Amino acid sequence: MVVKSRSQAAHQRLCISERALGHNVTFHPATCDVLTFDVSTCDVQTFRAMKPHYAKYLALGLFLALAVLPLLAGLGYVLAYSLGLVGFRSAGLTLVHWEAVLGSTFFWRTLAFSAYVAVMTIGLAVGAALWMVVTRPQAFLQGSLSLFIYFPLSIPAIVMAFFVFQMLSGGGLLSRIGYQLGLMEGLEQFPGLVNDTWGIGIITAHFLMAAPFFVILFANLYDNEKLAALVQLARTLGANPRQAAWRVAAPVLLQRAFAAIVLYGLFVMGAYEAPLLLGSQSQQMVSVLTIQKLQRFNLADIPQAYVISVAYAVLVLTLAVWLLGRGKRGDAR
Amino acid sequence: MANRLIKYFFIGLLLFPFAFLLLLSLGRGWAYPDVLPQHWTVENWRFIWGIQAGLGRSALLSLSISLGIAGPVTLASFVVSKFIAYDRHRRRWLVLAYLPYVFAPVILAACLQGFFLRAELSGKVWGVMVAQLFITFPYGVIFFSGFWNEHMLAMEQLVATLGGTVRQAYARVLIPIARGALMTCFFQVFLISWFEYGLTTLIGVGKVQTLTLKVFQYVTEANIFYAALASCLLVMPPVVLLWLNKKYVFSRVG
Amino acid sequence: MLLQAIDIKKDFGQEEVLRSARLELQAGEMLSILGRSGSGKTTLLKILAGLESPDSGQVLLEGRDITRLAPNERNIVYLYQEPLLFPHLDVFENVAFGLRLRRLPGEEVSDRVQRLLESLELPEQADKMPHQLSGGQRQRVAFGRALAVQPKVLLLDEPFGALDTETRASMQELLQHIARKFDITALFVTHDLKEAILMGSRIGLMQEGELKVYENKQAFIGDTTTGVQQELDFWRGLG
Repeated sequence: MVVKSRSQAAHQRLCISERALGHNVTFHPATCDVLTFDVSTCDVQTFRAMKPHYAKYLALGLFLALAVLPLLAGLGYVLAYSLGLVGFRSAGLTLVHWEAVLGSTFFWRTLAFSAYVAVMTIGLAVGAALWMVVTRPQAFLQGSLSLFIYFPLSIPAIVMAFFVFQMLSGGGLLSRIGYQLGLMEGLEQFPGLVNDTWGIGIITAHFLMAAPFFVILFANLYDNEKLAALVQLARTLGANPRQAAWRVAAPVLLQRAFAAIVLYGLFVMGAYEAPLLLGSQSQQMVSVLTIQKLQRFNLADIPQAYVISVAYAVLVLTLAVWLLGRGKRGDAR
Repeated sequence: MANRLIKYFFIGLLLFPFAFLLLLSLGRGWAYPDVLPQHWTVENWRFIWGIQAGLGRSALLSLSISLGIAGPVTLASFVVSKFIAYDRHRRRWLVLAYLPYVFAPVILAACLQGFFLRAELSGKVWGVMVAQLFITFPYGVIFFSGFWNEHMLAMEQLVATLGGTVRQAYARVLIPIARGALMTCFFQVFLISWFEYGLTTLIGVGKVQTLTLKVFQYVTEANIFYAALASCLLVMPPVVLLWLNKKYVFSRVG
Repeated sequence: MLLQAIDIKKDFGQEEVLRSARLELQAGEMLSILGRSGSGKTTLLKILAGLESPDSGQVLLEGRDITRLAPNERNIVYLYQEPLLFPHLDVFENVAFGLRLRRLPGEEVSDRVQRLLESLELPEQADKMPHQLSGGQRQRVAFGRALAVQPKVLLLDEPFGALDTETRASMQELLQHIARKFDITALFVTHDLKEAILMGSRIGLMQEGELKVYENKQAFIGDTTTGVQQELDFWRGLG
């Protein structure tokens, strides 16, 4: 067991998404040694004769108070607010805010844009990571790369966003290099890669955080699932290296990491820091829009912000419960 | 040879953001189209302790909040996760623990803002810490849920049949065995708190000036050198941990 | 009578694991319990150790009702198939573990542990960590750790199940030897017919939640439902 460090965008997600695979995995960053434990088959009896029941109720009570209650209370309050039941301007039950939000194009555009950023980020990062791991798995399991691949994970989203801005903005490093190389005559000729309507800056920042994360995840799964042996088997059955990598290793990795991939996608959808610094005013992501509406002086915007919160919550929580609840047969005993 | 070159190029790419931020933090005057800043100075770094900047104070504040969160959360989640892991409804509990994560922390903060205002915790360090508990504690529970398996239960039962009390089982077996996991959880929770921005801004209403808020403030002020400096401070602890960690791995794991 | 289990009943949800299990164990006796996996052997042992509580029935130790007594107050040690050595302690400290819990003086701990290590042919391994030992050595350390606290009853749940045939045979011999030497009272659970006959002074058969204990080995071998006769016929057929 080792100490390891990762950025917020990555380290909490790494562990969590590994656990979402149905496994609890703890990594050694360098050795990539993995401790696996299958959640779904675990049904452990407590020792009943010892009766530490009061302790159990205390513990579960603390869990409810710190993990479940805030979410429920927050959502309940916000729902009531959005329905006009509480708040400064509450005037009794009304659906007017819900109609205003759900009937507007900006809400659906924001949701669609958030989903687009998530899908693009995940698609690019998973694709790149898969390619790197199946073509040279050992590179990320031993040697210096197995350490350095962890470094990007120690960059928090806000710093990554700042870095990407300094790279890709009109006055950024790429533009300056382009100018020095004679590729352009001024910064106005540099394409708008940040604060753009296509979210290129946001996707780049998230890609830079997600790709190393998936490389580490896939490399560890590769090791853990003993894919090297499967690939060798495929080779003896007549597969060429490319077929072995893409018809055996890649599908297994994708299947095992499916929950992690979807969860990471949900994280990107709800991301705040990178869209705040790199997004455009005309095309926003969900978190940014919600907070902006909440912080405006126009009080009518507050219930709308809460409508968005509830709608978003219903969407992602449903997805998450579905995802995490899959294949839970055998646990009901 | 080509493979080795590719590898070093790749390592260079991975380390480039760190080098770039460090260079920028040592620069002054970066007019377009210069590729590098015109002047180099350590003045920016001295500025950390300057009175009006309060960057040093922000770093200390972030450090206090993160340490204050990491210790109690690690211990509490270690114990609580045991009861959850051994419960018949283990999976349901764990799904509940995931939800605060899937739900963006900043939107969670938006939903809870009203309660924090009423409890007069808004804009206070305590308030920010309480809010951070809501996302770090479930994380700790998920983290340790894998530690408590049948093997560990059998160990605990063995201690009992050998005559040990629950307290002795913790002190002499469970905690010593979990030492590595406890440290890992401690640092991870520390980092979640250390990197937290959205929730801290909202609950702290900008008054609890942690390092992440400073980065954002300098970025919006277009003060890229100080933003880079604050970024360096922010990135330093995880990088140091990662480096220590590597040694730890090699010295402890054969 | 040292240990008695009276009409032990235990359900897990819909599943009736123990219907009405009874057993009696004399001091110094080793009773083998034979049964298929899932027949309730482990549950019975855990109830005797206090790690599970029965739905009904009684457990008596030296005539005293211990059914509701916590496992750490029974002085009945339960050993698993896995040796479960504490990975952070060396061999010496693993064996000394129970004595340290009881806060015995250092010298006494040292004496007792040394003697046990010698009986278990482990004196050279005292400073080693568990991961440096072989499977058989680990199981011996686990025995030493149990014997150190001088338990009234030792519950052995397929202790040699994870060992290879050769190590298993030598461990069976060692256990018989130390059982005599330390006058151990034990329940030995196994699903191996030969091992059950070899280890037990009497044999019990666990079937469908009930335990049938035979008067002696002959009665067990003579019973056509135990499968011993088929086994004998098979070997005779080869000859």
